[in-house]
Amino acid sequence: MKVSNRFIILLLLPASALYLTFFLVPTIQALVYSLYDWSGFGEAPRFIGMRNFQELMSDRLFWTSMGNTIAILIIGGIVIFGIAFVMTMMLSSGIRGKKFFRGVIFLPNIIAVIALTTLWGYMYTPRTGLFAAVFDALGLTELARFPWMGPDTIAAAMMIAIIWIEVGFYVVLLLAGVDKIPPDFYESAKLDGATDFQQFRHITVPLLSDVIAIGMVLWSIHAVKIFEFPFAFTGLEPNPNSYTVAVYLYILGFGQRQPIYRLGYATAVGVMLLLVVILIVLVLRRVTRREVYQY
Amino acid sequence: MKKSVMIGLILSLVLLLSFSIVNAQDPVTLVYWSMWNETEGQARVIQDAIANFEAANPHINIEAVWNGRQNQTLVRTALSGGAQVIDLMDQDADQIAGGLMKEGFALPLNDYLQEPALDHEEPLADVFLPNTLNMFAVDGNIYQIPYIYNTVQFWYDKRVFEEVGIEVPQTWDDLLAACDALNAEGYAPIAAEGNEPGYAAFYLTELLARIKGPGWLRQAAADPTGEMWRDPAVLDAAQKTRQLWDNGCVPPETVGYVWPQGQNTLAFGTAAMELVGSWLPVELQNATDPDFQWGGFSFPAIEGGEGSVTDVNALLLSFMINKDTAHPDEAFDFLRYIMSDEIQQKFTDESLVGVTNLYIEWNPIIADASAAASAATSTYGDVDHVASLYSEYLNTVLYPNYVSLWQGSVTPDEYVEMMATQTAEYWAEHPQE
Repeated sequence: MKVSNRFIILLLLPASALYLTFFLVPTIQALVYSLYDWSGFGEAPRFIGMRNFQELMSDRLFWTSMGNTIAILIIGGIVIFGIAFVMTMMLSSGIRGKKFFRGVIFLPNIIAVIALTTLWGYMYTPRTGLFAAVFDALGLTELARFPWMGPDTIAAAMMIAIIWIEVGFYVVLLLAGVDKIPPDFYESAKLDGATDFQQFRHITVPLLSDVIAIGMVLWSIHAVKIFEFPFAFTGLEPNPNSYTVAVYLYILGFGQRQPIYRLGYATAVGVMLLLVVILIVLVLRRVTRREVYQY
Repeated sequence: MKKSVMIGLILSLVLLLSFSIVNAQDPVTLVYWSMWNETEGQARVIQDAIANFEAANPHINIEAVWNGRQNQTLVRTALSGGAQVIDLMDQDADQIAGGLMKEGFALPLNDYLQEPALDHEEPLADVFLPNTLNMFAVDGNIYQIPYIYNTVQFWYDKRVFEEVGIEVPQTWDDLLAACDALNAEGYAPIAAEGNEPGYAAFYLTELLARIKGPGWLRQAAADPTGEMWRDPAVLDAAQKTRQLWDNGCVPPETVGYVWPQGQNTLAFGTAAMELVGSWLPVELQNATDPDFQWGGFSFPAIEGGEGSVTDVNALLLSFMINKDTAHPDEAFDFLRYIMSDEIQQKFTDESLVGVTNLYIEWNPIIADASAAASAATSTYGDVDHVASLYSEYLNTVLYPNYVSLWQGSVTPDEYVEMMATQTAEYWAEHPQE
């Protein structure tokens, strides 16, 4: 049955209209507002050209928050994919209870972020937290009092928690790809004497390249705009030295405790974030571009 | 007979007419957006107040929306949409002053405040505790009705002080001596949220208020040259900040505490005191043992300082009426009722908070806060009003640098240099109008 182009366009119309209204138009509006000095309320926006972007270039907190965000993106990404690959190897090695372990590893993804931040906050609390109790029991009193959420280690503490939460998603993603690889490939490799690692290196990784690419893009977008966990993890009023870009944007535009309300400037931060995401996606697409295997 | 029928008819007509006049009052709906969550103690008191007010004024209906602490941001968003009517809202007084009030959305209340209070013959303006109603007045205009009063003081368990044998510190040296005594008995002297800028900044605010007097910090924040930060008082305040850590007043692990981890150490009996608002006893009421004996004392005096221990850091919560409300009289009538002895007493009795009505005896658990509020010779807002006047400066310059000093990442000398330089840079980038 041949479907006419007109009919296809008709079917695409509602979704396209929604996409235009709720995504493209606000995105374009954001680009426009980033050129204005505007509180988001009251007085009319005042056109100031590129001044918001000029200010960003010398804004210490913006660069601090960008540094924190990039650290989460790169360090977090390397560790998450490293752990996810190891777990994928283990779970796809014919282990019993694969579905159970997969479910357990994925579990943090379905728990509310606030509950997770409370949990990790409790674990890290010196003297009375979970880690402190374990270290006390082991006689390591100095470690029991260690301030995990202090200025030198809060980024690492937050990163560990984020990795714990996120790994499950990427394990499930990679496992779904592995499950599609025909078992014959592995059987042939075994007959040829390939080790587990060699099978992983020469069969799993190449055949998963498109899944890995998608996973990396998803992680990059998520990491660059990460907000909920850092915002809730770092207390009532997050320490500015531990802001991520998204947290800084929110505080500038919408206020946490203090009424800053610089929506125009916050929008410029958002535009920078968008540019960073586009840049990362372009780089990743180029880096991960390779022959697509048909199987 | 005819005459009596006529009189009866006339009387009936008069009655009917007066009844219809009473009912001629058009129904009024007031929309109130609240900073409280629906189940909080303060919200319950307001819910009771609404019910009572509606019963006494059958033509008025109050629709409450319980938004929680992000209330002002939600109100702004709703009002900017244009379709939403909001007559009344409440929030921290500093936040209203720096937000909706600054943006011109608050109704001036001076004339209303000259009307009599509900329970007293004097004008409503006169039933407020001293230095509260005028705290955020602009050019003599009052835009807020402060109804809850929090004082910033050291909060402690009296039993611990008695056990260790120490008196309430009156001076900075007394405080350091108290730390030594508490340390000797195995207590962590001061609990603190080490990684919370707002809590850390209580120390900077109080130190500079005692050394230079209230108002100096806000002038330093607004100094376009940044040179005021090179005043020896700043170095003194910075050195005293570090002294707290170096002398063992604040245990080193505190550097990693975020709310409520620090205050929990006070509730668990491992720490002895905390510099914080008088909301602390409420927040810890389920964590402290039933015999916990709350006491509060003002930040000690600094030798040679220009400030006084009766200068009070007052963190008020206020109502504001939207200047565009169609029902300003009814909205103010409701606020008059909020300020009545009955409702104010209920706030302090049931939700353990301080109130602004001077006739009300505060809950005994915060009696020391009440004493400080009554004796206040001057009051200042959050971070000596920097929070309401220069909120972006606070978040981007003052907080990050003071937290770095507080946590020991920079020395007092480095702190002074950073503040002087960055304040000048900030004002060069953001010229004051």
